[in-house]
Amino acid sequence: MQLFSCPFCGERDETEFTFCAEAGKTRPEPAAEVSADAWARYLHFDHNPKGATREVWLHATCGEFFLMERDTVSHAVSGSHSLRRPEA
Amino acid sequence: MRKTMRDRGLFWSPAPDWTTARIDGDAYSVRRVLGLGQALVSGDLDAALAELMPAAPEISLWSVAAAEPFAVRIGRDRTLLVSPGPLAAAPGWRNGYVATPCDDAYAILEISGVALREIVAEGTSVDINAGSRSAAVLFAGVTVLLYRIGPETARLHVEAPLAAYLWAWLEGRS
Ligand SMILES: [Zn+2]
Repeated sequence: MQLFSCPFCGERDETEFTFCAEAGKTRPEPAAEVSADAWARYLHFDHNPKGATREVWLHATCGEFFLMERDTVSHAVSGSHSLRRPEA
Repeated sequence: MRKTMRDRGLFWSPAPDWTTARIDGDAYSVRRVLGLGQALVSGDLDAALAELMPAAPEISLWSVAAAEPFAVRIGRDRTLLVSPGPLAAAPGWRNGYVATPCDDAYAILEISGVALREIVAEGTSVDINAGSRSAAVLFAGVTVLLYRIGPETARLHVEAPLAAYLWAWLEGRS
């Protein structure tokens, strides 16, 4: 069992979390001009690095999407960050 | 009539008669609490509480709620208002929030007794002593809201269709 840290809830069991996407992908736009190839690349292709990575995860029980920095080899989590803009 | 589909209804544990159902286990008992009002709120929670339930305390994981009304925190923008009876909240967005009456959407199971901590330890891996702003946790594999109304009495709010499953789980451990 591993603990992940939700920026809202704090530490929770990994089973409460769902991987969403690698962070830093930019959706190709405008939609009407995006080729099927480019769209497929955006949807299905990942860098899948060996080592340090930045990913978007969902804490499913509370509904928080957040950025997690972790290592794909050691599984060590080095940071969890809210994706919220700072409060105005 | 010819059967064209398997009746999955027979696969699931039958729902007990909630008005009388009771589990009397070793050092704990369980019943379903009926008649409370519940409303899901999304958006600006401060504005919603000020308008719908001023002075109602916010309840987080494992914290103790004295009496209804109170607001059980689900997530950053979500809370569940719990009131002594159905809450009159008009549906739709206003003042930055939306409140949706959902009195029957969640079943409320109340577990009482000295075995409470043991049951919680079996059901969830969360560290209840560490505290957490959200009362939502995975319990016996399903998402519930978990808080207490006394030192040895806890409540689980679970989506109503999952109540019979959770009941069978609680019954099975006795
Ligand atoms: Zn969370």
